[in-house]
Amino acid sequence: MLLKVTDLHVRVAGKDILRGVSLEVKAGEVHAIMGPNGSGKSTLAQVLAGREDYEVTRGSVTFDGRDLLSLPAEERARAGLFLGFQYPVEIPGVNNVYLLKAALNAKRKAAGQPEVDAYEFLALIKQKMKLMQMSESFLSRGVNEGFSGGEKKRNEVLQMLVLEPKLAILDETDSGLDIDALKVVSMGVNSLRDPRRSVVLVTHYQRLLDYIVPDHVHVLSGGRILKSGDRSLALELERRGYDWVQGAAIA
Amino acid sequence: MISAPPQDAAPPLSAALRSLEAQWLSRGVARAGDPLASLREKAMARVLKLGLPTLRDETWRYTNMRHLASHEFVDAPRTAGGEAEMAASLSLLGAEEGPATVLMVNGHPRLPASIDSINNNIEIISLRDLSRINPALIAAHLEPLSDADQARWGLVNSALFMDGVYLKVTGTMAAPLAILHLLTSDGTDNIAFPHVIIDVAPGSRATVIEHYVAQGANPPLCNSATHIAAGRDSHVEHYRVFATSEGAEHIDSLNIRLDGGSRCKQFTIVLGGGLVRTALAADLRQPGASLDSYALLVGNEARHVDCVNVVGHNAPHTTSRQTARAIASGTSRVVFNTKVVVGAGSAHAESQQSCRGLLLSPTAEIDTRPQLEIHADEVKCAHGATTGRLDPDMLFYMLSRGLDRDTAQRLLVYAFLADVLTDMSLPAARRAIETALIAQLPDPQTLNKFR
Repeated sequence: MLLKVTDLHVRVAGKDILRGVSLEVKAGEVHAIMGPNGSGKSTLAQVLAGREDYEVTRGSVTFDGRDLLSLPAEERARAGLFLGFQYPVEIPGVNNVYLLKAALNAKRKAAGQPEVDAYEFLALIKQKMKLMQMSESFLSRGVNEGFSGGEKKRNEVLQMLVLEPKLAILDETDSGLDIDALKVVSMGVNSLRDPRRSVVLVTHYQRLLDYIVPDHVHVLSGGRILKSGDRSLALELERRGYDWVQGAAIA
Repeated sequence: MISAPPQDAAPPLSAALRSLEAQWLSRGVARAGDPLASLREKAMARVLKLGLPTLRDETWRYTNMRHLASHEFVDAPRTAGGEAEMAASLSLLGAEEGPATVLMVNGHPRLPASIDSINNNIEIISLRDLSRINPALIAAHLEPLSDADQARWGLVNSALFMDGVYLKVTGTMAAPLAILHLLTSDGTDNIAFPHVIIDVAPGSRATVIEHYVAQGANPPLCNSATHIAAGRDSHVEHYRVFATSEGAEHIDSLNIRLDGGSRCKQFTIVLGGGLVRTALAADLRQPGASLDSYALLVGNEARHVDCVNVVGHNAPHTTSRQTARAIASGTSRVVFNTKVVVGAGSAHAESQQSCRGLLLSPTAEIDTRPQLEIHADEVKCAHGATTGRLDPDMLFYMLSRGLDRDTAQRLLVYAFLADVLTDMSLPAARRAIETALIAQLPDPQTLNKFR
């Protein structure tokens, strides 16, 4: 089991947002977590990545055999967990490539590997940028500085491709993308699919799942997973709406 | 207005003023033969009449100098004890740029025998020599004397400076010139009055770095003054870098006069010292003049930094842009006080003021006061001031990519200052300043506690 979330309760700014989430993700699987706005999807993604102002009040999380909640965010990243942000922050003055190189080297150092050769790194990043159809001007820009919504999302996937995480949690990576960008982003994610790697897609819409086909679909609502199933659950959700699951849960 | 300043018990600085007057009187014999005597008389008379500025004065409300009251000022020595080598470590310019450096010890220049050995297209002469040949030239740069409170210590300098350099640039300088100001004492209560005049002829290009460092314990109070005159269509880039030692106190006055079509880029960088007060007064006096001023103010430990800019738009189509970045850690305090005055008849003037502060400790303080005074129509003026802490979202983003906290925080502080650094045209100076900056960022544990 790569990720095991058990009865997770999380409070944010005095409000209980997650109220008993349990989830198991095996290596090689793709899971989709769907749910209406305000259901706690992003909170789950952020708390797994180590956001400090989110308070875990109950439950446990193990990742690759380690107690995830006891690790600070940077160690989670080095252990192979990656969060693709819903709203990637702009950091003017810190160069994109510099950040990515520092991130890769931090991971390599933790794994006892030497720093990446500057020349090889540039070749690697250029290759991945080509895959993501990103312009070379990206190399000289600040982190997400002045990027459009679509460019920011591509940059998240680019970072994921360079860092090659064991588990990628992609928080609404599809939101705000036009159909062409959605295809590019999906292709990027699919290129990483591998029997040793897992992906958790957090999304509001079924659309993304046409391109990245999940093994499991979960519906999160009111801070709990109300229903789990296979891909057909997502299609049924699209047809019947979230009210259908919420109504069933109350009944 | 933030809060009313604490009231001084009167008269706070009259003892210091009497001490400066005594110094003035002791120079009586020398003054008899001084061609600048009448200018100095006027300046001293103004200072005696107006007094030294206190917290009651508008631009001094954050900086208390009353501890000077107990000083019996004596002139700092003309030469450094020991050997004042211009070691590479003291110079802001790397050797690869082939910098020319003039050393000034407490304001007394050591000029090389041959001017050509320093640079092409510049002439350098000591103010002592120039005052014998052409005192009117010096007076023309120092006058008119100002009664403004931010200029008061500049008047003291005019009355009491003993020497300095006059730099005339005609044409394009082949390489930047560095003036290394070395401050050193031979006892207590030393005071130094460095003075630099930079005269840039029409159409010329000049780059000058003034770098203040202190030698030994107990360095003198430094009351320095620089006058820059940018001729028509000239380009000037000027740096003043304050990197003195922990207890050092410094009051600096910079005056910039800009003729038609001239452009001046000015960097004020405070990286050292115990108390550093910098004043910049700019006079955009002809159409098309433009000033880009940058301040990079680093408050560290118990340092007090007070930076005052007063920019006067006194002709149509003049442009000024001020960019200040302040960081404060420990128990330091950083003040950035800027005022743009658009005079009547300065239509189509444009000014921008951007002041940003970054607090790195709960016991540090940053005060920014951008002010505008507009007496003309059809002007474009904008100002903004913000002070905050490290952005937690930016920090989390970097941590989530595996960067350690210390690196992430340093990168964010560096990024905060980048707006100023990236506009420096001298790569070697920029690198040296960056290195000095990074060394001053507080230790990560302190930053962690504050987060």
